[in-house]
Amino acid sequence: MTIDPMKQFYFVFLFLLIGTKLSFSQDIQEPRISGFFPGISFQRFMERVEEETSYQFYFKAQDISDLTVNLQADKSKLSDLLDAIFLKTDLHYSFGNENSVFISKGEKLQTQLPDGFFRNISRSDTDLNGQVDEAFVRNNRFVIGELTPGRTKAKLSGVVTSLENGEPISGAIVFEKIDFTRSVSAPDGTYSIVLPVGKHTIYIQNLGGYIEQRLIDLRGDGELNMNIGESIYSLSEVVVNSGAINHISRPEMGVQTLSVTEMKKLPAVLGEVDVLKGILVLPGVNTVGEASVGFNVRGGAADQNLVLYENSTLFNPSHLFGFFSAINADAVESVDLHKAGIPASYGGRLSSVLQVKPKFGRTDKIGGSGGIGLLTSRLSLEGPLGENTTFLVAGRSTYSDWVLDWLEDRADFNASRANFYDVNLNVSHQFGEKDVFEFTGYLSKDNFRFDPDTVYGYQNQNFAAKWTHYFNEQVEASFSGGRDSYDFDITGEDNPLNSYQFGFGIDQTFAKLDIRQDHGDQHIFNYGIHLNHIRLDPGKIRPYGPESIVISDEVEREQALETSLYFSDEFEINDEWMVSGGLRYNLYNYLGPQTTFTYPDGSSHSEQDVTGEVNHESGKFIKTYHGPEFRFSARYSLNNQSSLKAGVNSMRQNIHLLSNTSVISPTDTWKLSDEFIRPQTGIQYALGYFRNMALNTLEFSAEVYYKTMRNLLDYRSGATIILNDDVEQDVLNTDGRAYGLELFLKRSSGRLTGSVSYTYARSLLRTNQDETKEKINDGEEYSSNFDQPHHAVLILNYEVSKRFNATFSGNYSTGRPITLPVSKFEYGGSERVYFTERNAQRVPDYLRLDLSINLEGNHKVRKLAHSSWSFGVYNLLGRANPYSIYFVPQGGSLQGYKLSIFGSQIPFVTYNFRF
Amino acid sequence: MKFLGNLGNTALLSLLVFLTSCREEFVPDIEAQATGILVVEGYLDSEGLSSDLKLSFTSSISDSYEPSALEGASIQLISESGEAYSFSEKGDGIYTFQQDLDEAKIYNLNILLPNGNEFSSDPIQPIITPPILEAGFVRDENGVEIFVNTQGDENADDFLWTYEETWILRPRIRSPYIFDKDLNAVRTRTEQERVDLCYRTVESPDILLETSSRFENQVVFRQTISEIPTNDQRLAEKYSVLISQKALDAKAVEFWEILKKNSLDLGTFFSPLPSIISGNIHAKNGDSRAVGYVSIGVVRQERIFVENSEVRPWFFSDPEFDDCFVSQDALTIGTDIFNSTFGGSGVSPVRELMQGTTIVGYYYAPTRCVDCTLYGTNEKPDFWIE
Repeated sequence: MTIDPMKQFYFVFLFLLIGTKLSFSQDIQEPRISGFFPGISFQRFMERVEEETSYQFYFKAQDISDLTVNLQADKSKLSDLLDAIFLKTDLHYSFGNENSVFISKGEKLQTQLPDGFFRNISRSDTDLNGQVDEAFVRNNRFVIGELTPGRTKAKLSGVVTSLENGEPISGAIVFEKIDFTRSVSAPDGTYSIVLPVGKHTIYIQNLGGYIEQRLIDLRGDGELNMNIGESIYSLSEVVVNSGAINHISRPEMGVQTLSVTEMKKLPAVLGEVDVLKGILVLPGVNTVGEASVGFNVRGGAADQNLVLYENSTLFNPSHLFGFFSAINADAVESVDLHKAGIPASYGGRLSSVLQVKPKFGRTDKIGGSGGIGLLTSRLSLEGPLGENTTFLVAGRSTYSDWVLDWLEDRADFNASRANFYDVNLNVSHQFGEKDVFEFTGYLSKDNFRFDPDTVYGYQNQNFAAKWTHYFNEQVEASFSGGRDSYDFDITGEDNPLNSYQFGFGIDQTFAKLDIRQDHGDQHIFNYGIHLNHIRLDPGKIRPYGPESIVISDEVEREQALETSLYFSDEFEINDEWMVSGGLRYNLYNYLGPQTTFTYPDGSSHSEQDVTGEVNHESGKFIKTYHGPEFRFSARYSLNNQSSLKAGVNSMRQNIHLLSNTSVISPTDTWKLSDEFIRPQTGIQYALGYFRNMALNTLEFSAEVYYKTMRNLLDYRSGATIILNDDVEQDVLNTDGRAYGLELFLKRSSGRLTGSVSYTYARSLLRTNQDETKEKINDGEEYSSNFDQPHHAVLILNYEVSKRFNATFSGNYSTGRPITLPVSKFEYGGSERVYFTERNAQRVPDYLRLDLSINLEGNHKVRKLAHSSWSFGVYNLLGRANPYSIYFVPQGGSLQGYKLSIFGSQIPFVTYNFRF
Repeated sequence: MKFLGNLGNTALLSLLVFLTSCREEFVPDIEAQATGILVVEGYLDSEGLSSDLKLSFTSSISDSYEPSALEGASIQLISESGEAYSFSEKGDGIYTFQQDLDEAKIYNLNILLPNGNEFSSDPIQPIITPPILEAGFVRDENGVEIFVNTQGDENADDFLWTYEETWILRPRIRSPYIFDKDLNAVRTRTEQERVDLCYRTVESPDILLETSSRFENQVVFRQTISEIPTNDQRLAEKYSVLISQKALDAKAVEFWEILKKNSLDLGTFFSPLPSIISGNIHAKNGDSRAVGYVSIGVVRQERIFVENSEVRPWFFSDPEFDDCFVSQDALTIGTDIFNSTFGGSGVSPVRELMQGTTIVGYYYAPTRCVDCTLYGTNEKPDFWIE
């Protein structure tokens, strides 16, 4: 549609006629709009609406020239859509006769109209007949109070009542979205909110999550009573659907979000909702041991994933040796996994960023939720504390001892004890109108005693604070800081003289400044600086108890400083092209004090190469590494339903997990890059095709990637990684590459939802050519421990009724690579195995089916608590999927074995409640 | 480290039991590779104690027969000053070494195989192993633990212990009789023919390693050698263990650690990845591989005895023999069935049938219930003291 002078004429002309019946459009059959509008211009949007409905738009071209529409509509009212589209603009709309729609730049139009023009109803949004005209009350600008010169703020108060029964609504949130001032209605429905004098859009969100809005012109203290209904089409649903739109309209690839709601439907071991295991259903993510929290993203090692709880890094996000993840789902809003297209604001790991978004508590009232499972129970409490503060506190603990006791009577199970707990505390406080303060705290602790002599324990402690300041509509900045620590210890009490305690610890303190700035309508800048100071206690052993003669020994502590500066720009060039580019510059200083060996240049740091020893003073920059990381992604929209994306990502990682096992083991320690162990670097190229089908209810994507990695660590034969002062002598500099194809189809609405994904991927390693200590497989390429080429996952959720749904999941993958002996020999009184090539064989393929059934309690509103049951079966087929194959000498000769982690069906039941 | 290496196993096996894990016998289909690689094993005593060097080849993992011994090799130990010491071939791939060496010198081992391939060792520095300070046992609720105490010094920090256990075996049914095929008659057994008292000797495949510098004054205290669970057969009557203590250098420790990890710790959840094993023996022409770490040093040995009376209560009963009974009826001397039954090996005469003062027949029992030589030897070991 072109803007012809005629239209402009209508615009002016019709506005002059408004007086009679502005926005009292009484059409009973209000046209509804369905469709998918992914980042198209508003002009194009209007054209499509005009094509499909009887609406006619009247506007000034310059008012809407930069406006784009990015949403999905499913039988939505036009008013709802316009509300969403105009949310951050000062555009307004009015309905005229015969479905004519007037778009105006608010300020300009208002000045043309006499004051009080809209004041048909100034104190209530319901008309004299007690009927609410939705279109009217939403678009009418209510003038409240009398203007007093010099006055800048005024109080708006009133009562929120239900449209259905006229009763006051308690706990409705009344807020505006610029400064996020808000108020919650009292049990008698009353609310009050202090706002700057001027024009505002007031939103009212009731308990069901529906949002209503009112326009006001606040001139002085006054009342506005609002009558809101639940039958109104919810804007929030447009928001929910935005995931599907983002799917094709966002420039970055390889980003996947799982909401806790989705995760809760997935069958889980022993019914523990597991936010980390949930992501294993996503394409490109696999794991070596099914009972391990460690996961591998696109051919990367498990230590190459950054697991962030808001801003806190979790170094060991697991409980019970990895059988459960250490994050309580009740404290989590959602989980985002970035496999590629990692924003420049994230860095520090090579493969992926797993951003766990915490909940900060509901605003309406204090409530809680909890659950009772076979192994653990959990409880959380959340709600407002005063007007500007909300909190969430969640705890989880085992009572597994009874399970262990029960088993002890029935199995050969000696003196085993295991327990763990975790606690989350999240607080959000709004002070002033432009500042939000958030605190997140996390604590987890595990303890095991598996034989009477050995106790193993570990703990995570994280806390972080974030202060966000909204300068104006364009600029917001957040400053955050915090501390993350993780440590474990092992106490051996075999006999009092040999009793020892071994400990490892890592501790990092960080500060971040992140700024987001909208620049014009086409650019979004993100920039900031991150500082991170890491202190690491690589390992120490101490005598335990007064009689012990064990000698204390300690690997010298290490410390390093990481500084990263980043800048990124998201640039929407036009409807078709959108690019996002970023640069992150990482500076890494390995700091003294430290005593290190010296080696000749070019040597690969073997014991025999040592030429001397150097003592570095405290705080000295022993070694500095620095380099840029590039993040680039682009989207090209083929049409409204599909797009092509491409991206390049380079990453640096300065900290390494020393692990000579197939899965992350609880005794693995971290190591900082030093003079000899260089930071890992990697670059990934990815290309993808994204398509939405069937009115955005089906999302399809196909992605291919190719990735190279340098300075990975592998280990020479006989390497010692614990209490080793000179790890450089035991590690092998290794190169890696990975490539793959990921296909993903997801249905997100309807009774049957779910996804199916297939991944073909390889992950290969090769000892660096310059490495002289040892070349694994004679310097040929070999499979990494997690090289499982074929991987398919099917998730189906069928909603039989609102109260009853069932989820079925299937998981297939190629068996993991394994090193099997190729011959045997006799030594030390027994047959022994002889190995040659690393990872040349595979365990048999993996197949597992699970089923879970979720039953919701009834939906009576006035119930004390809302409850639900989850039960199901993990490993429905009872298939003993081999984890490993190995040989053990028995009576002097070798016997082969196959070990499966779950050899049979594991039923589970969990009772959940919330109040 | 040893103390951490074991953690994964015990802990995880327990946990896996809890989560219904399962371990099944399984023989993967593995194409035989890397067979015929020379394997050299030996700790040569430098003070004249007879010690064995064993040569063999690697063989296919699916073969059930013993790995093949290597015969006809010529072996020499050559000191840095050129003295050559030879080995005598004992058969079965065993070559005996019995020499008093100067421990201050450095040695090289040379091996010439019958096929002409030549191997030699890295230079070997003898280590004088400190003596075992004490070898003993403790009885606790779990059974009996055999231990040693020792103390390392500046030359000997790492230790390897091996042990050989011997114990008395008794059959369920004792019999003084034997059917003499020459006489075609039953007679009393001679001392050499006894089947009611046997000795069983087993060389343990356990690889026990410890580093003395972990402890104050390098004292290794209560190093566990063997753990015998309560009511185990070994202490049913009398038990003896010969503990050998060998000091190792750092490279040798690495070899034995790999051997140990590869044998015992693989396959469970947090097991280390297998390591490639080689050692200090290399082919001279560079092509062929070899496995094995030959050390020179002093082997310190200590033997202890433990009697059942020292550990009571301790009852051993092997359920495998619960079906052992003396026959209801005796076989009469001189009958065909008497000669044919006792002439075979299935049953043995155990009690006499008397008529007045004359033996007219013998009750019998299955030989497996009677003859302990099926499970050990009736030859009393030289070291055995009553």
